[in-house]
Amino acid sequence: MKKELVLKLLIVFVTFALATVAGVAFHEHRHFKETVVVSEDFTEMRWLSDYCPQLKDTFADTPIFVFDSGVEGGSVLYCGGTHPYEPAPALSAFVLMENIKVEKGVVYVIPQCNYSATTMGVQGNAYPSYYTVKTEWGEKQYKIGERNTNPLDQWPDNFTYIHYPSKQAQAYNDLRNLNRCYPGRLDGTLTERVAWAITEFIDKEEIDLSIDCHEASIMYPVVSTYIAHDRAMDIAMMAAMDLTATSFDMKIEQSPKSLRGFTHREWGDYTDTLGVLMETAEPFIDRIVGPMTVDLMMTGQDRFLSYAGDKGLTYAKYDKENNYSWPMNVRVGRHLSGASKVIYYMNQFFPEKEVIASWPSYEELVEHDCGAFLHNPETSNPDRVFSF
Amino acid sequence: MDYTVLEVVIIFVAMAATFVLGSKYLKSTEISMALAGVVAIIFSTLHGWTTTPVKLLVEGLFTNMDLAMTFICATIFINIYSSSGAMTTITRNIVERINNKWLILICMGILMLIPGAITGAGSVSVFVLGTLVYSIVRFMGVSEKKATAFVFMFAIFSAACPPINLWTMLMTAQANMPYVGFELLLLLPIIIAGAFTILYCGWGSKRAPKEEILATLPEVNAKMYGFGGLVRVLLPLLTLVVLFVLTLVIPFSMPVLGLPLMFIICTVVAILCNPNKTSVKEYAKVISDTMEQVFPLVATVLSVGIMQNAMAASGVKGLIGTAFVLLPFVWIYALILIVGPFAQGSMSYGSAVVIGTPLIFMFNTAGMNVTVVCAALSLIFPIGDCLPPSRIVGRLVLEATDYKDTYTSFLKQIFVPCLVFGLLALIMLIKPAWFTFLA
Repeated sequence: MKKELVLKLLIVFVTFALATVAGVAFHEHRHFKETVVVSEDFTEMRWLSDYCPQLKDTFADTPIFVFDSGVEGGSVLYCGGTHPYEPAPALSAFVLMENIKVEKGVVYVIPQCNYSATTMGVQGNAYPSYYTVKTEWGEKQYKIGERNTNPLDQWPDNFTYIHYPSKQAQAYNDLRNLNRCYPGRLDGTLTERVAWAITEFIDKEEIDLSIDCHEASIMYPVVSTYIAHDRAMDIAMMAAMDLTATSFDMKIEQSPKSLRGFTHREWGDYTDTLGVLMETAEPFIDRIVGPMTVDLMMTGQDRFLSYAGDKGLTYAKYDKENNYSWPMNVRVGRHLSGASKVIYYMNQFFPEKEVIASWPSYEELVEHDCGAFLHNPETSNPDRVFSF
Repeated sequence: MDYTVLEVVIIFVAMAATFVLGSKYLKSTEISMALAGVVAIIFSTLHGWTTTPVKLLVEGLFTNMDLAMTFICATIFINIYSSSGAMTTITRNIVERINNKWLILICMGILMLIPGAITGAGSVSVFVLGTLVYSIVRFMGVSEKKATAFVFMFAIFSAACPPINLWTMLMTAQANMPYVGFELLLLLPIIIAGAFTILYCGWGSKRAPKEEILATLPEVNAKMYGFGGLVRVLLPLLTLVVLFVLTLVIPFSMPVLGLPLMFIICTVVAILCNPNKTSVKEYAKVISDTMEQVFPLVATVLSVGIMQNAMAASGVKGLIGTAFVLLPFVWIYALILIVGPFAQGSMSYGSAVVIGTPLIFMFNTAGMNVTVVCAALSLIFPIGDCLPPSRIVGRLVLEATDYKDTYTSFLKQIFVPCLVFGLLALIMLIKPAWFTFLA
């Protein structure tokens, strides 16, 4: 009897100890703040809750950075963090914000569209919580999040997800997937509300071109691709051809009408914006990779996947020539040049919407790596340092 | 690439050995699975692949928490519902009113399909109807083992049955395919395999005389008869069906309840419909007994979560996936009926993501109709719900039917209908073009 009691007490103690250690890690991840030193062309910071007050003081509220040239022209929205388990889009947004120069029109950046999803890792997939970027002045830490909204902010899931307004049935957990919830609902779930707020923001600000950045597994056919709404097909097709001829391979696909809830479909259908989604290659999120390490996330090098590459089973280059790798700087650079190119062709096709803005290119990222474009918050003008 | 294939293979072997030894000496599948996960996490930490082993362990524990909550709430509902005598009343009515054995078996099969088809979970079919269907099938003269096989087979058919097939939904979500055109592709093989299962289980059995069956059933409260009784019996089940249907039909007007709360609401309705004078203490005992009953299963799904996280952290998940998807097509055809179900047994719905999605892309590259391929895979994975280490639906069925023999004898009993079901799916996988007209 006494032995049993001791055993029970021991179990309680071990459970409590494990819960405490893990709890501290979960708490740190949920409240970790990423820092950005915005460029001199920064104008103001807004919040998504400015367009949807119901989001205020929730983990779904997220900052919108505005870079307005003051010269009349078009407008562009650059989105990262729709799926925070794909970190290159958010990092590309940070690099863009720290270095952007705007000569005409206005550029809006939402670095973490689904902020709630940045506050935890992917359950059952053993994701590391953070990655660091080396700079000349030290290391800068960023979060690796989830694909879907944190269940602490939106729970439970239904047994199936019915998309609004199409009524298309989708996988149950897509109820928390921002890129299945557009155009969104004001009186819907938290994720649907975020989608509604972003759609409302695009509509209200009359944004001409909206770019949603993602990463895809290399065994997924739609990788290294622009997916464009019908009205954005011309500019995306020209951009893809131009990039493929001059810089890196880029494919183009038209947004399918039968798949609902995506940015490339619903932004274009429910607002006047030209909707484009970009995918880079991220081996880390492939299904058949080895240990889930930060190194794999940063370099994209994996032995198991190299066998698939050798067998021609990947849709993005993965062979000896690229050292079986898709490093972070390449992925970030592709997004930045991919965005520049669609803006360029929007300017060509629609001169009245012209936006002239510049930021580091693919070639510069490949040559100098990401850290070269990140500034030290400690030594920067505090007015241009934001943590969120 | 800071690992070698051999290192990951060693971890895989260590996990398997821990599981086998743990099962043998600790007599607990759940603790053995958790220990296997801990071993993999320790290896990963020693290799420097992870710096947060405790976080991985606890995070894994929460991976299937929703499933565990559904199991608990569903079992509480069904036990409270049964304690009112409602199950016995339904059984009495069916035995009294329907005389044809085959008709009863068909009705029971269709009945079993409904909860799983609506929710996508075969476990819900077992919770709601498993015991009832089992007892009625037994009264049709079907042996204990075959009646258990009947319940299990229709539970996995219900999970695979449209409109909600979670494996298909997960694969289509991963592959950005619309969840459209799957109804007939999923339904037709289920009808064929279901008909076979009814024949397989019912062949040679002889229904006992009606009076004899009724005499063995316990008496129920007189208030369970007549129109009032009908309302008392059907209302809790109807509440569940109405909640399911409303979620699908008016999704934008319905709040998101989730399965656990749906079952709790039905439990309240069942308590209100109970004609017996049941005290709060007695209800508390039913709930307490339910927790005892469902505890091993909850422990299983939580341990599976630990293992899933550990397999990802250590690369074992990638090893299994790579080893299979790199095979030539002919080997995939030869092994899918083994690998698919065992992947389900170890990774639960993760099988669709780890094995299913890469296969869809491969078949797509080969120019095959991926809708048919996806449907075929979605029929294969559910078979693994009886396989170790998790054995989730298999164990549930054994509990619902109070199965006395060994687990191996249960597996032997379901082998033939599972094989028929698997072969139907395999034909679809090998010759998708033949089935394109169903898409």
